Amino acid sequence: PSHSYTGQGGQESEDYESEEQLQRRILTAALEFVPEHGWTAEAIAEGAKTLGLSVAAAGMFHSDGSELILHFVSECNAKLSELLEKEQKLVQLGEAEKKPTDEFLRDAVEARLRMLIPYIEKWPQALSVLLLPRNIPSSLSLLTSMIDDIWHYAGDQSTDFNWYTRRAVLTSIYNTAELVMLQDSSPGFEDTWRFLENRVADAMNMSHTASQVQSTGEAVVQGLMGAAVTVSSAETSRALR
Amino acid sequence: VPAGGAAPRPCSTRAALQGINKPVIDRIIRVDHAGEYGANRIYAGQMAVLGRSSVGPVIQQMWDQEKDHLKKFSELMVEYRVRPTILLPFWNVAGFVLGAGSALLGKKGAMACTVAVEESISDHYNNQIRTLMEEDPEKYKELLQVIKQFRDDEREHHDIGIEHDAEATPAYSVLKTAVQLGCKAAIFLSERM
Repeated sequence: PSHSYTGQGGQESEDYESEEQLQRRILTAALEFVPEHGWTAEAIAEGAKTLGLSVAAAGMFHSDGSELILHFVSECNAKLSELLEKEQKLVQLGEAEKKPTDEFLRDAVEARLRMLIPYIEKWPQALSVLLLPRNIPSSLSLLTSMIDDIWHYAGDQSTDFNWYTRRAVLTSIYNTAELVMLQDSSPGFEDTWRFLENRVADAMNMSHTASQVQSTGEAVVQGLMGAAVTVSSAETSRALR
Repeated sequence: VPAGGAAPRPCSTRAALQGINKPVIDRIIRVDHAGEYGANRIYAGQMAVLGRSSVGPVIQQMWDQEKDHLKKFSELMVEYRVRPTILLPFWNVAGFVLGAGSALLGKKGAMACTVAVEESISDHYNNQIRTLMEEDPEKYKELLQVIKQFRDDEREHHDIGIEHDAEATPAYSVLKTAVQLGCKAAIFLSERM
């Protein structure tokens, strides 16, 4: 692991930190400057300055801000996990009520989307960078692990195809809510939260309907079987007379 | 623990996930879950054809053991947060068709299919035991115990198949090779997908 000086001179013992850790510190510091400068090398340069480093440190990163944006998404996901973990502990200790699934999903997605609020003006730019072919493996992986996390804490224990269905549905809810949020000018983003509530309710209805359809289908089949048996025994008894 | 009829949820699985080789464990649990699921469907297919014959009770007993195996792997899947194979709907149909198809060849045909599948599965479990022993036998003690037990069960099923004249099936070696090739392909795919 390479070591770096924190720029405080002379007799101090060296801070042993890996390059990766240093980069993360710079990117975290750069976030403060994103609302003003966007997801750019300028923001990273300003961030480096606050750590007492040279602005040339921004040269370590891509000019399109890819690492900065991915770092931000990763940090938000980590914060969400911590939040959900804490909530789960409270429920396990009996200090909080277990939320019904739709409320849990709604709250988790809202909490995650609220982390975008300080950066909402510059978020469209970030989304387009996340969609660059070079970044898609990372951004997709961050998205899927976040959605998986939410379902895990929501108590999903499916081990069949439902595992995929649930995650696909939640992913589309998250993505569409995110897009609505970008165009939302209502006070406190209330339009977005209402949109989110409706989408989650739709999803719950869909799965309820699917199970209803299945049980209706089974009932119909049983009815038909019963009718067929009745008819065939009537035929048989008539033939025997 | 939630009230009512809900199954007890495992406590935070963060403890289970500390310091394990996630990619390796992921693959192992995913493919084993898929395998037990497929085995369930195979026996279901065999029972659909031979359920009322003289070998019905034998097949039913082996099927019941596979149901227990599947339940155990489903629990491990939740505990280690492993994604199930996306091919489950396919194994659902393919397994049933293989079971019913082999049973239509007669009781010996069904037993031949059982012998082929159980031999593949025991070899596969042995490979996994080797992998886990190379990784860290202490860390993976529980998983190793489960796989060893299941390997022994599958070997028993294999022996039951032999006892019931599997080898007397016409074209036994052709049938066995074909089924085992299919098992190898299924294992390869479900580890990755």
